[in-house]
Amino acid sequence: MADEKKIGVYICSDCGIGEALDVPELEKVATSEFKVPVCKTHPFLCSREGVQVIKDDINNGEVNKIVIAACSPRVNNDVFDFDPLKNVIERVNFREQIVWTQPSDEASREGSQMMAADYLRMGITRAEKAEVPEPKITDVNRTVLVVGGGVTGLTAALEASQTGYKAVLIEKSSELGGWAKKMYRVFPSKPPFAELEEPTIGAKIDAARNDSNVTIHTDTTISSIEGGPGAYKVTIDRNGTAETFDAGSIVLAAGWRPYDADKLPHLGYGKYKNVVTNLQMEEIVTKGSGKVTRPSDGKPAKNVVFMQCAGQRDKEHVPYCSAVCCNVSLKQAKYVRESNPDAGAFIVYKDMRTMGLYENFYRSAQDDEGIFLTKGEILGVEETADGTLHVEVDNVLLGRKMKIEADMLVLATGMVSSMVPEDKSVNNLTPEYIGNIVKKKTEDGEIEALEPDSLILNLKYRQGPEMPHHKWGFPDSHFICFPYETRRTGIYTAGAVRHPMDAVQSTADATGATLKAIQCMALTAQGRAVHPRTWDRTYPEIRMESCTQCRRCTVECPFGAYDETADGTPLEYPSRCRRCGVCMGACPQRVISFKDYSVDMISSVLKSIEVPDEGTFILGFVCENDAYPAFDMVGLNRMSLNPNIRLIPLRCLGGLNLVWIADALSRGIDGIMLLGCKYGDDYQCHYVKGSQMANERLGKVQETLDRLMLESERVEQVQLSINEWEKLPGIIADFTRKIDDIGENPYKGF
Amino acid sequence: MADKTVFTPDMKFVRELREAGADTMKKCYQCATCSVVCPLSPDDKPFPRKEMVMAQWGLKDELVKSADIWLCHNCNDCSKYCPRGAKPGDVLSILRKSVIQENAFPKFMGKIAGDPKNIWQALAIPVVLYIIVLAVTGHLGIPEGEVVFSKFFPVHYIDQIFVPLSALAVLMFAISISRFWKNLGGSSEMKPKAAFLPSFIETLKEIMTHAKFRKCDESKDRAVAHMLVFYGFIGLAITTAWAVFNLYVLQWESPYPANDPDIVALFGGSETVPMIIRVVFKIFANISAVALLAGGGLVIANRLKERGVETVTSTFDWVFAGMVLLVGATGMLAQMFRVLDFATIAYLTYFMHLVFVFYIIIYIPYSKLAHFVYRTVAITYTKMLQRDVEM
Repeated sequence: MADEKKIGVYICSDCGIGEALDVPELEKVATSEFKVPVCKTHPFLCSREGVQVIKDDINNGEVNKIVIAACSPRVNNDVFDFDPLKNVIERVNFREQIVWTQPSDEASREGSQMMAADYLRMGITRAEKAEVPEPKITDVNRTVLVVGGGVTGLTAALEASQTGYKAVLIEKSSELGGWAKKMYRVFPSKPPFAELEEPTIGAKIDAARNDSNVTIHTDTTISSIEGGPGAYKVTIDRNGTAETFDAGSIVLAAGWRPYDADKLPHLGYGKYKNVVTNLQMEEIVTKGSGKVTRPSDGKPAKNVVFMQCAGQRDKEHVPYCSAVCCNVSLKQAKYVRESNPDAGAFIVYKDMRTMGLYENFYRSAQDDEGIFLTKGEILGVEETADGTLHVEVDNVLLGRKMKIEADMLVLATGMVSSMVPEDKSVNNLTPEYIGNIVKKKTEDGEIEALEPDSLILNLKYRQGPEMPHHKWGFPDSHFICFPYETRRTGIYTAGAVRHPMDAVQSTADATGATLKAIQCMALTAQGRAVHPRTWDRTYPEIRMESCTQCRRCTVECPFGAYDETADGTPLEYPSRCRRCGVCMGACPQRVISFKDYSVDMISSVLKSIEVPDEGTFILGFVCENDAYPAFDMVGLNRMSLNPNIRLIPLRCLGGLNLVWIADALSRGIDGIMLLGCKYGDDYQCHYVKGSQMANERLGKVQETLDRLMLESERVEQVQLSINEWEKLPGIIADFTRKIDDIGENPYKGF
Repeated sequence: MADKTVFTPDMKFVRELREAGADTMKKCYQCATCSVVCPLSPDDKPFPRKEMVMAQWGLKDELVKSADIWLCHNCNDCSKYCPRGAKPGDVLSILRKSVIQENAFPKFMGKIAGDPKNIWQALAIPVVLYIIVLAVTGHLGIPEGEVVFSKFFPVHYIDQIFVPLSALAVLMFAISISRFWKNLGGSSEMKPKAAFLPSFIETLKEIMTHAKFRKCDESKDRAVAHMLVFYGFIGLAITTAWAVFNLYVLQWESPYPANDPDIVALFGGSETVPMIIRVVFKIFANISAVALLAGGGLVIANRLKERGVETVTSTFDWVFAGMVLLVGATGMLAQMFRVLDFATIAYLTYFMHLVFVFYIIIYIPYSKLAHFVYRTVAITYTKMLQRDVEM
């Protein structure tokens, strides 16, 4: 069946392809050069008749590798859909990237024709080298492990149950409800966003306790988690007794902890009794059933000063905005005012940040005659004999310094992810994994290495026991596109553990993450990847006999998909893999490949290009997620593109193997562009590390170029967002000029 | 115990301001759009942003010292562009009212005459006073024959009431203003750079031409209305001065008969000259009265008119605008009824006219009319500081 390689090439002559290109010549490329058994041209290939032509050939057993030379692979996927488990389907983009980017005049015809012939060669070569996938279908456990019993965790467990899945909820403390349970009132969740509301956490706790699909373990921590999506082995420590069970996916809802106010002595915390944190304020008001009293003597408090950003947005303390503290202080100002109609609540802020509809809450508080708001800073706090405080405020809006006589000073301290251990500063964490830099003795002498801490999950993963964090202890995820997808496939973060948020947002977050966790189990059961390549049923396969245990794959995988044996041999967990191919690009032995994607395949593809003897000729390796569609956009907008470029789409630029650079240069290609996503703190890479990894590898390409005695400027990486498509023709033109200046590749014509 | 440096917000003041009509002031979130769009705000420490936060924080002591609130001519450009509907224009107008009442001397008069709630008491004072004077002098009744107002309420009685009371009002006003002047001086670290007199002359020039008023974008038509009222008042002041001159210098009594032999003798035996003088005088007075009436009407019409921005006129302002209209209307009507010889109604209208004139003149330090002095003083002071906008 599939092992018999029967290639069929189908050229569509519609959408201007027939007019712009000499189709019979292209047919000759397929039939003469590649001797494909079937090559047909259809005037309207995506029509029912056109598709039927292909279907008939498949059904008659004439073809099982189908090369469709028509429009972009990003369109008409539903039309050209021929059982991917039986057939290899390869798309050659004649329309968007050739016909629509090349001028239609006679002078440009030759260039267009050469492009089309090359792309056809590349497509046929790709199809020749590709195999149909043999998905890993395994038995999948369908229990969601929920870590954390606060509002997020409870919601996650309930959502899983309501979707028909079982959930096991682990809570380290003895009671459920987390911080939400400690609130006297919560800020408004519905119009007109003016009235404080009764907390609803109690109902949620009861619902979870009474749900037969939800198993709850309090006073419990996780000792270890092994395996991968669909097959986690979870060992818990339940009040000293160990228990082990299986789970299919994990929602990490470990929540937050308040920033340690002891680090704010300049605001009088720890020194004066009447200086409290916002959480202590909540306790006081709960205890007093709504009355605000001074901790020093229990007398009613009249004037209360609130200091916003007590540590937040300060690189010495909490470098980010905690998002909720402004609303919390407005809520507590209302406590003060409801406690005594003559009371004054003074809120001193850096900026008032009440996102979305909470703006209405801010307005309602602002309208209260006894709530005084100003931008400013607290310069100092003094205590008088009776415990009353004199808070010196630099009132920026009034343009003066003033002393406010206050019964209490409430510090609106911020949220720190529960990932951050108590003994570590949130502003000074080790990069990527929270831990310590230790000195290690190795064969090469003493080196400094990062030893990651075990914090919550205790994963038995080669890359470390916890989630990689992006910054400040928040687990890394693709913030824009897939916020719940972390760098550990199957583990989804929700709530304040992943960034500061309130209970309402955490609830929505829990729902999203739980659905992702369920989706993961379902896809894993089918042997498919999770987002973004959910259709993909291939997985990396290693020719172990050639592996040199160099550990590059196990180290570089952005998702920690590989474990390794003591000697460094990689252990595969296909269910953890996201199919980006970074390992394939990393492997110096080129032993990692997918059924339809390999180092050899791309090498062959680039070797199939007929590099002209004259003129600057460029090869582009492009990220298929952003840069490739950007080229389609160039076509859609009929911008013209230099015809001396050929593009090879990669699943991720991180899959770039240096051997391709050497291959391309030795074929006489003058310049190579790597077009991928932005990297760094605000990365856009779908696979988090891919484009950065490509850049690191590029640093090593120098060696290859030196060996070939070529200039390193011949290879350049460009960071491109999908919306920067307009820049592409200019980028290509500039690079072409640069290569023109360097001169021809001396290997040209060999 | 009371530490002077410790700040306590004056919540009573905040409440008073909001009750008086500045109910939007807490909506301000200090973006300062108002200060940017204001055509009259100085570049350095512009208003009304800072006044808005001062009002929110209840800084009464400082607001009563502010010269800036008087630089505002209430065009409401700020209220139009305010993104939060805080209506700084209206808030400043209420603040000006508060300053008039705060500086009022004696304070209780500020309450009686200035607070719109007490309008009936304020009007009852002249009514009772007049009735007593008329009763005591035996004039309580409608005189027979041709309508001559001095038969009903002899002019020297009126003058005996008005002259001392006006003098008292002026004195009270002087005290209020001297307080205000002192407050202005103590309000900031800024020291005057220019002399008083040139600044004052410059200010008068501006007022005569309404130069500041004309800078307002949002409501240019208000300048016309105000100018009519302004010059109407000046015209009537000249008229009154001329009447006083006639009566006490020329001894020429109302209704100014041209056949009075003393007067004819005074003008060299010609009856024509006093006739001409009399007619010119009458025409001038009537033009002034019409200007006042028309201006007053326009002021009210403008305030009722749909503007680019929703503003609220405080009761304090309404009372004064109404009073201007009533003075003009009763004056004109009294004259009309006199000419038509409707005795009873003419005398009654005249009586009402005198009541409203009392309100306008005697309550001057406490009513909205006080603004003409406060504003002149504040603008002069600002010019002395050399922080006023270039005209």
